[in-house]
Amino acid sequence: MRMRLLFVLWLPLVLPISLCSDVEAQDAHGIVEASFNYMRGRTSISTVKMTIHRPDWERALTIKAWTKGQSDSIFWITAPPRDKDNGTLKKRREMWMYNPKVNRVIKIPPSMMSQAWMGSDFSNDDLSKTESLIDDYFHEIIGTETHEGQKIYLIESMPKPEAPVVWGMQRLKIREDHIFLRQEFYDEDLKLVKSLTAYEIQMLSGKLFPSLWKMQKADVEDEYTVLEYMELIFDQDLPDSLFTLSSLRSPRR
Amino acid sequence: MSTDVKMAWRNIWRNPRRSILTISAIAFASLLLVFMLSWQFGSYNTMINFAVRIHTGHLQVQAKGYKDKRSIRLVVPDPEVVGGILDKTPGVAAYTFRANAFSLASSKERTYGIIVTGIDPTREAKVSTLKKLIRQGSYLSEEDANQALVGELLARNLQVGLGDELVLLGQGRDGTIAATVAKVRGIYSSGQDEFDRSSIHIPLKTFQDVYNMGGAVHEVVALCKSLDRLPDVKSSVAAGIEKTDKKRRLAVLGWKELMPGLIQGIQMDLVSGLIFYIILIVVVAFSILNTFLMSVFERKREFGVLMAIGTAPRRLTKLLLIESTTMTMVGIIIGMIAGSLITWYFQAHGIVISSASELMRQWGLPERMYPQLSLLSVSIGPGIVMVITFLTALYPALRVRRLRPVEAMTSV
Repeated sequence: MRMRLLFVLWLPLVLPISLCSDVEAQDAHGIVEASFNYMRGRTSISTVKMTIHRPDWERALTIKAWTKGQSDSIFWITAPPRDKDNGTLKKRREMWMYNPKVNRVIKIPPSMMSQAWMGSDFSNDDLSKTESLIDDYFHEIIGTETHEGQKIYLIESMPKPEAPVVWGMQRLKIREDHIFLRQEFYDEDLKLVKSLTAYEIQMLSGKLFPSLWKMQKADVEDEYTVLEYMELIFDQDLPDSLFTLSSLRSPRR
Repeated sequence: MSTDVKMAWRNIWRNPRRSILTISAIAFASLLLVFMLSWQFGSYNTMINFAVRIHTGHLQVQAKGYKDKRSIRLVVPDPEVVGGILDKTPGVAAYTFRANAFSLASSKERTYGIIVTGIDPTREAKVSTLKKLIRQGSYLSEEDANQALVGELLARNLQVGLGDELVLLGQGRDGTIAATVAKVRGIYSSGQDEFDRSSIHIPLKTFQDVYNMGGAVHEVVALCKSLDRLPDVKSSVAAGIEKTDKKRRLAVLGWKELMPGLIQGIQMDLVSGLIFYIILIVVVAFSILNTFLMSVFERKREFGVLMAIGTAPRRLTKLLLIESTTMTMVGIIIGMIAGSLITWYFQAHGIVISSASELMRQWGLPERMYPQLSLLSVSIGPGIVMVITFLTALYPALRVRRLRPVEAMTSV
């Protein structure tokens, strides 16, 4: 589940070779995986503005993030000043948070993974279990539609029986050029809980990428979290030492 | 005083043993019901009073919606104003302010998600039993900052002891990250596992600094002088709040709304009690029916003679009903008085239920329970016994009208 995060905070890379293959011939699983690889890239460095909107207030955070490979990522808040240098490290399915005021690193316990990250509509799980969408679900193409001359696949993903996931179903919209357009999260009663939608597809660091992502709760119109990419660089070499607990304690400027 | 009443009275004492037995059965049933009902009501009172004193209080003023959403943004912005209203309300014994936030609590080894509650140490001690629940270390004092009281189960889970540091990480009222380090000052155990496993208390001032609350709180918790004053207190507090809270953002909630589980438990207990009372009353009704029927059979000859000398069947019925009603009344009055005396004795001394103490601890109850006499508990049981015995006596009293004088006179 939660591919979103990959798309989102941990950025993507262009794998030029594999991606040019003929999507039409691929099955649903192939489409999801190809899209996943396209969106994530080998490594990424990004600056993202996160806006948490609620009916009576709004709050914006600026986050600087580094991602590498399938599952490693590290990011720090750079604004507002009060929250500056708070960091989060994610490796595999584990997460740690660092707070400069108390100068401590806290490991997020498994029971807390479904809690909201920093009060946003993204949960810790959303940020950490990104690759689970490929591995923990059966995918099926349930339809296609055409938008602005591009083919869009509608994919329904049901969790595998023993998969450690919280969702009852997910629905994905993936454009034929691998761009991830929409992800819907359903609970066990197959009721829509929240949805992540991509907007403003443009050239970023040499490939088409949506620069705006909106996570919207299903039952409340006026509550959402928007991620806006201010900067995005793919495929720069990043050392493994960046994704460690000691690195988490010393925020990069 | 008619001849009928005089006759009925004499009839009753013509067979004193039978009458006394009947009266005793009625008296015993009344006594038992008076005691059991007083006991039940008393234990509910005890339960409610102890349960509310652990944390909830009799009454809380919160922002509307806070009870269900527990959002840190739903605050009581001016607690002192609410405090002023409570000061002026008669029947309020004490009140305190609290603020709560969901946070991560982390020791060197472990991290758990918990509720951090900011408390005013002095006021809290008057409202809740927290201070008395401290098992290790000591309670918070006014000057303490960055000190924490931790539930026993949580302390065990986190593997911390007195003086150890805990990192608290959560989100402030304005959405910013709230973090602080607090030293374990005391460890408490309430017996309510949920509470002991997932709560940490820090001084309200520290809480307000760390979570950017300004002067706001989430709950104003009040304790009434007694449970039965709650409805009055609640309505006058609500009226006072309505005057000052122009934006209609605050709600006044009683313990029933705050602890729906407790009231459900009480209702279930009441229903099972009810079943027991019905069985008791049915047994008593049958024994009374038996006595009345027997007395009519034994006195067949007497009734035959009475009818032969011209007594109308209606009058016999009346006679029998007066007899049974008299016995019932005597029995009930004896039962009520004896029941009240016994109940009153235990109300003063209490009853120790040691075998149930483990169970009681779960509810935060004391080992010693006190029945509570009230008009209701004294009158309900005997009232029902009265109605049932009257209905039971009706059958033999009506049956006697079918007697034929000649047969009746020769039958015994």
